[in-house]
Amino acid sequence: MQYEVDIGGRRRQVVVTRSGDGFAVSVDGRTWQVDAARIDAHTLSLLVEDGLRAVPHKRVSSNEVTIATDPVSGELAVHVGATPVAVTLNGRRRWGRKDEGAGTGSGPQRLAAPMPGKVVRVLVTAGDLVTARQPVVVVEAMKMENELRASRDGTVAEIHVREGMSVDAGALLLVIQ
Amino acid sequence: MKKILIANRGEIAVRIIRACRELGVSPVAVYSECDRTALHVRYADEAYAIGPSAPRESYLRIDAIIDAAKKSGADGVHPGYGFLAENEDFAAAVRDAGLTFIGPTPAAIETMGSKTAARTAAKKAGVPVVPGTEDPLAPEVPDAEMATAAAAIGYPLLVKAVAGGGGKGMRTVSDAADLSGAVRAARSEAGAAFGDAAVYLERRLTRPRHIEVQLLGDAHGTVLPFVERECSIQRRHQKVVEETPSLAVSPALRAAMTSAAASVARAVGYTNAGTIEFLLDEDGRFYFLEMNTRLQVEHPITEMVTGLDLVRWQIRIARGERLDLDPDALLRPNGHAIECRIYAEDPDNNFLPSPGRIQQLRVPAGPGIRDDSGATAGLDVPIFYDPMISKLVAWAEDRPLAIARMQRALGEYLVTGIKTTVPFFTWLLAQPDFRAGRFHTTYLDEVLKARNGRPFVETTPELEDVAAIAAALEAVMSPSALASDAAGGRTERRISHRWRDQARAEGLRSQ
Repeated sequence: MQYEVDIGGRRRQVVVTRSGDGFAVSVDGRTWQVDAARIDAHTLSLLVEDGLRAVPHKRVSSNEVTIATDPVSGELAVHVGATPVAVTLNGRRRWGRKDEGAGTGSGPQRLAAPMPGKVVRVLVTAGDLVTARQPVVVVEAMKMENELRASRDGTVAEIHVREGMSVDAGALLLVIQ
Repeated sequence: MKKILIANRGEIAVRIIRACRELGVSPVAVYSECDRTALHVRYADEAYAIGPSAPRESYLRIDAIIDAAKKSGADGVHPGYGFLAENEDFAAAVRDAGLTFIGPTPAAIETMGSKTAARTAAKKAGVPVVPGTEDPLAPEVPDAEMATAAAAIGYPLLVKAVAGGGGKGMRTVSDAADLSGAVRAARSEAGAAFGDAAVYLERRLTRPRHIEVQLLGDAHGTVLPFVERECSIQRRHQKVVEETPSLAVSPALRAAMTSAAASVARAVGYTNAGTIEFLLDEDGRFYFLEMNTRLQVEHPITEMVTGLDLVRWQIRIARGERLDLDPDALLRPNGHAIECRIYAEDPDNNFLPSPGRIQQLRVPAGPGIRDDSGATAGLDVPIFYDPMISKLVAWAEDRPLAIARMQRALGEYLVTGIKTTVPFFTWLLAQPDFRAGRFHTTYLDEVLKARNGRPFVETTPELEDVAAIAAALEAVMSPSALASDAAGGRTERRISHRWRDQARAEGLRSQ
């Protein structure tokens, strides 16, 4: 099985084949021998051994890994130990609501609510010119007011909320072209 | 007291339930709609619904809570912190219902709850206060009069809400031209947050430390201070790390600060647990800031270095028992303790709240570690309340060992489903200034600004390879789970699919 895995903006080619009781996994041509044991629905224990190093005492790293889907970004939220790593599998078909939330780079920014809450202020109107990092909407959640900012320069094309509205996580707030 | 109603939720309700159990007292919980399955409800002997999720419709409803107390036959009420803990009307309502309020008298709450009245009380006790206006500014004070008062205090200064707390209703003014606008803004914020728009002016000390003194007072006139807590690590005026003892406090300064704190408390006839907050300037001068008339969030670090249970003492004092403790021992810390407040916030997204369902939770344990939490896997962190999910405390023989132990514990802290501030603490505890104790109340805001959003989570190529391997193996080993993820829909449904898939897989295996 072959996968494309994006982490931190870099794409890796990952090939998985059965090998003995475990798997041989190559990442961009470097092969690892992996013993995978499932702990629970979200958790794997991976013992990873460098398959190429022909030395008598090979290091076998022990990793507890959890995998879940981020409801807002649609990325896989992977934890290696306690360290979170955002992973996109097969980059061209991301899961979830791909466009909302993401917003850097080219194309329109579809600004989504990062958490459920109440819109307390809309700081722009349709047609306004905005610059990157300019606050555009204020959402109140958990006793705090949170400024949401434009991620790029552009024009406010659509506004989907008004002040006082309650929004769910992932709800589209506005679009900047 | 045989039965105590806990008028609170979250980790502090669980903390108080534990103290009740150890005293053989039956704990009674109250809960709002969204807290039906919360840990404090599950731990209590009895539980009573008090209304919808919004705080003012449940945890702030004095009538509903008194009603629940009567129904349960409780003879005492513990308010915890926040919500109604510093509301003199609540303390009076509990008393008038014939129940014992586990805290100070309504009169003491009222006096110390007004920042200007508290400053007057401190001055009377001979304790220095930060220079500022004696009384709140009159509602229609002319700009010229305000400018004269401000000039007498000196710039930069703070406009502060008389009823304030948590940084709300507070503005810094560096220029006389901004004064009237700042007063207007602070008034409107204070009015909305506390129902009291009164503000006063106070000099803004440069680079002060926040040092506070825990006190216990019994009903027989004894007031005992404890070794200080250092709470200068704050983000937007909210404490995020506390430790005890403070590197900035010498034994002589400790003696001066703790006796000053005790004399303020004695001057107002204070009983039960309370905390006097001071600012300590760069020259080692300290100033009374305010008194919190309740149990403090960060009380566990004091417990760790003194070996005492402050909540148990609150209950014993409320029963009329005497504080038969050795006063000197309370000022001699055994080792060092640090607390990190773990919040459901995304530190890599400007600390935005990250409410939602906790999928997995594994808390650190082992030597010297204490996790006071109200969270469990499967629970939702609600949007209605403070986003703190737990307080992680590390104790060790000295400060460097306590930091090392905290770093070890942070590495074990596994939370999935929501974002937490764990990666931020991992970064902070590695900073040379933190490790050397070189900080003040605006240190954290300054370094965060200088970082300009640079992520706290740092991965390595090896770690990223493991993540890539894991994602691919998950797709191979559990394609149905990822397929149901791919179908979209709400998180809850996805999770339940995964559990169902897992249950099916286990069912197949056992046959």
